[in-house]
Amino acid sequence: MELGTFGAVMGFAAQLVVQSADFYATASAATKNATLESLLQSLAQDARKDVATMEQTRRENVTEMILEPIAGLVREDYAIGLQPPGADAEIVQTGLRLEERDQKFFRDASARVPLPEVARVFRKTAQRKEQNISRLRALAAAVG
Amino acid sequence: MNSVKNYINGTWSDSETQEFGEVWCPATGEKIAHVPFSTAAEVDQAAQAAKNAYWDWRCTPPLTRARYLFKLKDLFEKNFEDIARTLVTEEGKTLDEARGEVRRMIENVEHATGVTTLMTGYNLEDIAQGIDCTAERQPIGVFGAIVPFNFPAMVAWWFLPYAVVTGNTFIVKPSEQVPLTQTRIFEVVDDCGFPEGVVNMVHGAKDVVNAMLHHPDIKGISFVGQSATARYIYKTCGETGKRVQALGGAKNFLLVMPDADLDTGMPSIITSFYGCAGERCLSGSVLVAVGDVYARLKEKFVAAASALKVGNGLEEGVQMGPVISKKHQEKVLGYIEKGIKEGAKLILDGRGIKVPGYPNGFYIGPTVFDQVDPGMTIAREEIFGPVVSLVRVKNLDEGIRLMQKSEYGNAACLYTTSGKTAREFKYRVPASMIGINLGIAAPMAFFPFGGAKGSFFGDIKGHGREIVQFYTDTKVVIQRWT
Repeated sequence: MELGTFGAVMGFAAQLVVQSADFYATASAATKNATLESLLQSLAQDARKDVATMEQTRRENVTEMILEPIAGLVREDYAIGLQPPGADAEIVQTGLRLEERDQKFFRDASARVPLPEVARVFRKTAQRKEQNISRLRALAAAVG
Repeated sequence: MNSVKNYINGTWSDSETQEFGEVWCPATGEKIAHVPFSTAAEVDQAAQAAKNAYWDWRCTPPLTRARYLFKLKDLFEKNFEDIARTLVTEEGKTLDEARGEVRRMIENVEHATGVTTLMTGYNLEDIAQGIDCTAERQPIGVFGAIVPFNFPAMVAWWFLPYAVVTGNTFIVKPSEQVPLTQTRIFEVVDDCGFPEGVVNMVHGAKDVVNAMLHHPDIKGISFVGQSATARYIYKTCGETGKRVQALGGAKNFLLVMPDADLDTGMPSIITSFYGCAGERCLSGSVLVAVGDVYARLKEKFVAAASALKVGNGLEEGVQMGPVISKKHQEKVLGYIEKGIKEGAKLILDGRGIKVPGYPNGFYIGPTVFDQVDPGMTIAREEIFGPVVSLVRVKNLDEGIRLMQKSEYGNAACLYTTSGKTAREFKYRVPASMIGINLGIAAPMAFFPFGGAKGSFFGDIKGHGREIVQFYTDTKVVIQRWT
């Protein structure tokens, strides 16, 4: 389904980061690896901040004068079905999939949303996702 | 079923009236609340409360008054989503549109906090030997606003923040069709802790309007609604010696030149006509195709209109909601019938649209008439629904003449890639809000909002810098101490 409105794009952005936040919270409780647990708690905290940022961005940037349809963003392109957290290696791999998915969405959406401030927030979020990917990759070798 | 309460002198109270109206959810067609048709005595209570609160409030430093608005802005941000959802439930517009409206409401609060700059007067020494003169802006007393259904949150706040921050006290009468949103907003106002009587709200219909118009302690009225009512409000306020700004209806033309970039412009053209289901005074109503753009414009416009997702505005992704009421739905459908009878060609028919899950909602799909003669009823009268009249003209001059003949002069928009054409358009078109390559020429809080001709009765428009003049008297003080 196409995310054809500003609200739909912002709502979906919030859903994505909520999914990530929930996963990291659950996974950090499941792992016995202290390093991984610390990283997952940090990622969960970042993702929760992202949720607040998305809600604030939606609230402050909705512009009644130019609520024009938005084209080219399809929900299914970014959907990831998640299993309950398994072994540490699987947790890291799932985290990478989520971060790569989020990064792709925010990069794609920044080019589609015609509001500079929203696009800036999306680009900045995509950049942080890039850093998260590096953090997870650095740990991937350690957890096998 | 809930009945909304009045807010008078800082207290919520049930009206004494025995007459009530019904509030509907346009998306579902269900009755959701009752609204009291309050009495003249209750208007008097509100006016007395506002009058009693006036002097202390007037003597409160402007910056202190502004701090109430800073606090109110924060509270509105916290309650943003809840206000927007309440608005959708009773008005029917989409959630994005409602959020946009609440945003605009808050922007007026933000703009009004600049009172210490906006309200300053001016002075000149030595206007004669040893004599100095100052012009000072002083508040006047109790003001009121009578506001329409189509922007249940925003319109009252085109006025209230400016009236209050300049030291006046205020009474709002929300539309009886959508009383829930302003009630929710006043719950937030109540939390803000304004002194009792500074802001008041009285629900009702005609009797409340007339009581406000004739109340000797109410010094001025701001109104937004239909032109016939605006004219009546203007006339009555003239007779009763009140300041008045009365914003009326519209019949807005959107003119597309052959050089227009249709691919870039089409989303905003569509939004102009079908945003808020066509129920806004800035909506496009007549789509004017100039010269050989006609065939391309028609094809792209109808394709885009056909693709709009119509439904319950609370569902994200919905692009157009229902109209406000069953009665209004019938009125709009009547215009469609009239268009057919008068010989226009119906090329996109929004009648009988089915929205899954909401068989009783007040929906009308996007509708387009082609081959519309400018003399036809659908090209002249305000429809206030998702019905578009496509008119073909030879050149810009002929297009502008159409607008000059219209009894309304609210907004007009032009799509072109020519600066020369744009200049000529804005120079000659007799509407007060002009859009170039955009479809909704909506002035933001810091610019004035209001039309010309039959779209506006008064002289000082809504918000902008000028609104401070409406809510203040300029007192000139001439002094000699030598």
